Amino acid sequence: MFDPNSPDLTRPVQAVPHEGPDMPAFVRRHRSFFILLVAVAAQILLLSFQITRNNHVPLIRYWAVEAFDPLERSLGGLMKVSATAYRTYGHLWRAEQENQELHVQLVAAQAQIQRLGEQAEESQRLRALLDFKSQLPFQTAAAEVIASSPSPLDQPGENSRVLTAIVIDKGSDSGLTTDLAVITPEGVVGKILAVFPHSAQVLLITDPSSGVGVTLAQSRLQGILKGGSNSFCDLKYVMNEEVVNRGEAVVTSGLDQVYPKGLPVGNVVNIGDGSIYKTIAVKPSVDLNRLEMVLVVLKPTAAEQQAQNLSLRP
Amino acid sequence: MPTTSHRPVAVFQVHPAILAIAALVAMLLQTLLPLKLPSPLAGSMDFPLLIVIYFALMRRDKVFGIALGTGLGLLQDALSHGYIGIFGIAKAIVGYLAASASTRFELESLLARTVLTGGFVLVHSLCLAALRHALLEAPPPFQPIATASAVLVNVALGLILFQILDRFRRPA
Repeated sequence: MFDPNSPDLTRPVQAVPHEGPDMPAFVRRHRSFFILLVAVAAQILLLSFQITRNNHVPLIRYWAVEAFDPLERSLGGLMKVSATAYRTYGHLWRAEQENQELHVQLVAAQAQIQRLGEQAEESQRLRALLDFKSQLPFQTAAAEVIASSPSPLDQPGENSRVLTAIVIDKGSDSGLTTDLAVITPEGVVGKILAVFPHSAQVLLITDPSSGVGVTLAQSRLQGILKGGSNSFCDLKYVMNEEVVNRGEAVVTSGLDQVYPKGLPVGNVVNIGDGSIYKTIAVKPSVDLNRLEMVLVVLKPTAAEQQAQNLSLRP
Repeated sequence: MPTTSHRPVAVFQVHPAILAIAALVAMLLQTLLPLKLPSPLAGSMDFPLLIVIYFALMRRDKVFGIALGTGLGLLQDALSHGYIGIFGIAKAIVGYLAASASTRFELESLLARTVLTGGFVLVHSLCLAALRHALLEAPPPFQPIATASAVLVNVALGLILFQILDRFRRPA
């Protein structure tokens, strides 16, 4: 029975060892302090339902939002970073794919540009050739250089290869015969050496066996142009006493009955005196190493020949 | 094992009815006296606090001190127009501290009672100010002079009240 006068009520309650659930010794030693904490915490919780902030928002809700806000921000930030990383990776992957496709397209476009450029250049050359052809007083046939024949005189190890003959894609089926002159808008190339059904071999003026009747444009001295060393030709049979100027133009004389008169052949680059005749080096006006399209001068009729001679007279 | 002073202390007991009546009278005085006395003086008095201090010092039981302070504090909150729990927290802390001090100090001398009572009243005032500052959006400013006057008023009341309550205690 409860005795209010019991001395135990006035004496401090001693901790009674018990065999119940195992409590940490620290908590047991400070039991009253933890009871105080519980009482204070419970009353603070009670206050949080009564006190309001920011337009009647209960303090408990205010604390809960404030407590979870950093966690929500962190998690939201993490999710945002992850989504951004994933999206960025996707963009990079697609950019890489697009880059590869564009690279392939670029290569194809560059190849097409180069092809079109070559076609344009060829078109320009053909147009220039056509314009030149239309201005000539004699008939010509256009032909494409399809092969070259290096000189049998080439020495092994020489840096420059001297072309002395080429092959064109027109032959006897196009009406070509031997000894027809072959020219370009820049000047004289050579003459047909041999004719085949669908092609012809052209002997260039740089070949030592070639001979072109020429005239110096200023001094009007006549001579024979023979193939020489390297890529130059030699103008022969000009007397030492004659005056020849360096850079003077050399044109066909028409006296060899092969090349029409007045066609450009080259320019004098070097002059020297020989025993009787001068040694004159002539640089051809045509780059014989870069021939692509040429014109073959067809044999004119007698009337055409006369008219040609009259029109080409300087 | 509770910490107890090794010096000989007087252990007293009081009838539980005395405790109940004392608490009731304290609450009545707390609610009625402000109608009769000048406002500053009446606003400084805290009879429930003095009851908590006296009985916590006498019982020397921290759990009892916490329970008594929480109970009287919540009752005082309920009878006031403020938030329930403010006085409860402050008086629970004072009850715990008073019970802790009772095992360390000699409580029969007037000086000891005066100092301890003044200290606990001050702690009570500081707890109230801290809670209002922490919880309220617009807490009232801390007034040191009003706090000091409250300490003096309650110490004077306590000395009188303690003498009255001493008549009802018996040695254990």
